Amino acid sequence: MNIGTLLAIVFMVGGLFFFTTATIGLLRFPDFFTRLHATGKGDTLAVLLFLIGFFLYEGFTITGLKIVFIAVFMFLAQPTATHALSRAGLRCGVIPWMKKGDTK
Amino acid sequence: MDIFFLVMGMGLCILVLFVLYRVVYGPGVFNRVAALSAIGNKTLIILLIMGFVYHRVEMFIDISMVYALLNFIGTIAASKYLEMEGSIV
Amino acid sequence: MIKPSDDIIIKTLARVLAPFILLYALYVIMHGHHSPGGGFQGGVIMGASLVLLAITHGLKETQKRMSEKSVAIFSSLGVLIYAGIGVLCLILLGNFLDYSKLAKLLNVPLAQARSLGILGVEIGVGLAVMAVMFSIFYNIAMGGKRSEKDNR
Repeated sequence: MNIGTLLAIVFMVGGLFFFTTATIGLLRFPDFFTRLHATGKGDTLAVLLFLIGFFLYEGFTITGLKIVFIAVFMFLAQPTATHALSRAGLRCGVIPWMKKGDTK
Repeated sequence: MDIFFLVMGMGLCILVLFVLYRVVYGPGVFNRVAALSAIGNKTLIILLIMGFVYHRVEMFIDISMVYALLNFIGTIAASKYLEMEGSIV
Repeated sequence: MIKPSDDIIIKTLARVLAPFILLYALYVIMHGHHSPGGGFQGGVIMGASLVLLAITHGLKETQKRMSEKSVAIFSSLGVLIYAGIGVLCLILLGNFLDYSKLAKLLNVPLAQARSLGILGVEIGVGLAVMAVMFSIFYNIAMGGKRSEKDNR
């Protein structure tokens, strides 16, 4: 149980925490755009934390470097997919949720 | 260390079941597409955890990279199709 | 006819990512006997990168880079490589696709000749699958018409 394994466990528990909060947000938020906030940001951060934890567990082997490649790809691709989805939602006329008594 | 990975995997599977509620009951198609993207993210991590449990990570890394790729392309294709209001031509 | 998307973020990212996806597909073809992969899987990933370019930049722009003539040439080239290696083994007094006869031609040991034979066949399969995937996507997107002139 060296220091690398302990750090990996810390990162993975943090990743699981962010996955849980993203799922709770997806279930309880009132509107499509707010749910997209929850799943677009929370899921991406959780996946990145998990992949860093895996890399610290494996060490500097070929497998570890491939995990870093997956992390870089997810960091670039996942926010783009969220952006494309929100643009499509805006174009198709999904009505945002507003508080009662708000006119903006 | 195996017990730790197994607990993580089971926790993620339970989270996938919770997101499945939004796939079934989401009013409209946009909520369903967003929830499918979330399921794809969790599946990617479950694949890697299974690689660690079986002590053969080299087999599972290529598969998870391809799955991340296909999830990304699928979400962009679905959003493009919905933007054109149901027709591509 | 798929119109190009008018968003600069998606277009830039598709343009940046497409060469790396092709490189990864080549890696999957080459490592077919070590890890999950092989000819067909690598060909599908190459086709997926072309589909990504067609969705984000419009079908006309993608056709300038990979026209219908190139697609036909690639698919025929893939089958030619596959059958060519088989007939080459036939000429060298063996059975069809009997890679052990290639050892005399390439001056390598017997096991390595078999491995190189399988690698050549996988490359042929990958090229053919990529061409056919893009051709199927193009035909379904055009809705059965041959070109844009038929719309009138």
